[in-house]
Amino acid sequence: MTGGEQAAMAGGVTDASAPVLSLRDAAFSYGGAPAIHGVSVDVHAGEAVALIGPNGSGKSTLLKGLLGLIPVTAGRFEAFGAVRSGLTSRQADAAARLSRRDIGYLPQSDELDPEFPITLEQVVMMGRYRALGFFRWPGRADRAAVTDALVTVGLSHRAKARFGELSGGQQQRGLLARALASGPRLLLLDEPFNGLDQANRDALVETLRLLKTRGVAVIVSTHDLELARDVCDIVLLLNAEQVACGRTADVLTLPNVQAAFGEVGVEVDEHTLVVPGHEGH
Amino acid sequence: MGYFELALIAAVVIGAASGLVGTIVVLRKRVFFAQALTHATFPGAVAAALLGISIPLGAALASIVIVGIMALIGRVRRQGTQVAAGIVLTAGFALGAVLQALHPGVPIEIESFLVGSILSVSTSDVVLASVVLLVTVLALLVFGKELVFQTFDRRGFAAAGYRESPMELLALVLITATVVTSMPAVGAILAIALIAAPAAAARVVAPSPRWMFVIAPVIGAASGIIGVVLSRVADVAAGPTIALVAAGFFLLALLVRRMPRIGWRTGVEAA
Repeated sequence: MTGGEQAAMAGGVTDASAPVLSLRDAAFSYGGAPAIHGVSVDVHAGEAVALIGPNGSGKSTLLKGLLGLIPVTAGRFEAFGAVRSGLTSRQADAAARLSRRDIGYLPQSDELDPEFPITLEQVVMMGRYRALGFFRWPGRADRAAVTDALVTVGLSHRAKARFGELSGGQQQRGLLARALASGPRLLLLDEPFNGLDQANRDALVETLRLLKTRGVAVIVSTHDLELARDVCDIVLLLNAEQVACGRTADVLTLPNVQAAFGEVGVEVDEHTLVVPGHEGH
Repeated sequence: MGYFELALIAAVVIGAASGLVGTIVVLRKRVFFAQALTHATFPGAVAAALLGISIPLGAALASIVIVGIMALIGRVRRQGTQVAAGIVLTAGFALGAVLQALHPGVPIEIESFLVGSILSVSTSDVVLASVVLLVTVLALLVFGKELVFQTFDRRGFAAAGYRESPMELLALVLITATVVTSMPAVGAILAIALIAAPAAAARVVAPSPRWMFVIAPVIGAASGIIGVVLSRVADVAAGPTIALVAAGFFLLALLVRRMPRIGWRTGVEAA
């Protein structure tokens, strides 16, 4: 079943033209001053958005805010047709918990215990637990979803491998498969290309393209401007606030990138904007 | 039922429960925490004996206080949970020893607290341990996969929409209940041997956490039975024998894991 079909079955957004996610002048805060503010963007099914900005610009904060791990403190925030702003903390917590069932999240590569006795397919199966609920154990449909997710990220041949024995890039793709196994309508990826070799990077790019065709909305934080051009429809430039947002070709201009990254260090050649210090990411 | 048969039942029940809870402890890397818990329940047990209330209840109440203190110390800047466990382990045990010294008539000996006495467990001890085993099995059947998920990847678990604190609490309650109910039989030091060794052995050979939850209690129960029987045959203390058998299972697991590798390497060299 495609993400679009799953979206239709899940109810939520019934109008195909309605955005999966909508922010209007939104601010998110850990408590105290907003960590990121002035964000306005609509994300529709099958669209990919790149969050671009220097380190500490609020990319991860925004993703955590969308996930409901930190609160929206100003502006308007809707996810899957439900308002998530202007709620009490208890209401916001409940709403965030509910919407997380439709969100797949891939955090920045983490220090997971390499000795943990678990295979790749068992890790991916964790993506099915939320839908299964307590006491129920995975069945045939869950195993099929896991297989499909592993095929999607190109790791079906490593299903039985111990997770800790996979390369960093394969682990990253494995965690992406876990996020996909839940059948998300929105996928949030936090710096997924950090430290990936070319093969894993290419595989991840292909996966993102495939997900878009399946109707999954994708938001990816990255330093990789080339990736934004290749895969993303919308670019959101950040530096503690929204610097620019719009179609990729319109936003990735030298003045905008300089405004986000600062004057120093932005070079332009015929085809690519390069941000020194971030090229390897 | 004779004392030996009762000891065998206690060994099976406590060994199985320790294996199950030990799997949680080992996967979460909280062996030192569990050790601190065992030692720091001592003052609660002594105080309970002084007040004439149930000793396991006193130990359990003490464990609640101890966990709170460890959480507070763990939050002190530049201190970690290991430091908290170290302080609580020694301070708790010292407090129990002082209380016991001040009241020499109290019916708890330091030695029996440390190594227990499985041959003198009461029927109520065994019943209590059986209830803890049953609750542990049920809890793992209901929440086991979520507990493993949270143990493996806390951030991913929270991002999936789960609350972390109920899982933390569940792990804590199961660990504490097992420690408290196993102490009359095997004591504080040996309780840790039964919690750590079978689960560590299972981790070496098991392909998944689910298999650890199967293998570890079997090893725990086997350690208990073999230890009790060997202690009778050799006329040595039961508790230490159980601990040594459990450690032996860990060594055996290491050997088993290496065997196919040796065989494979030999095969490659022969080819």
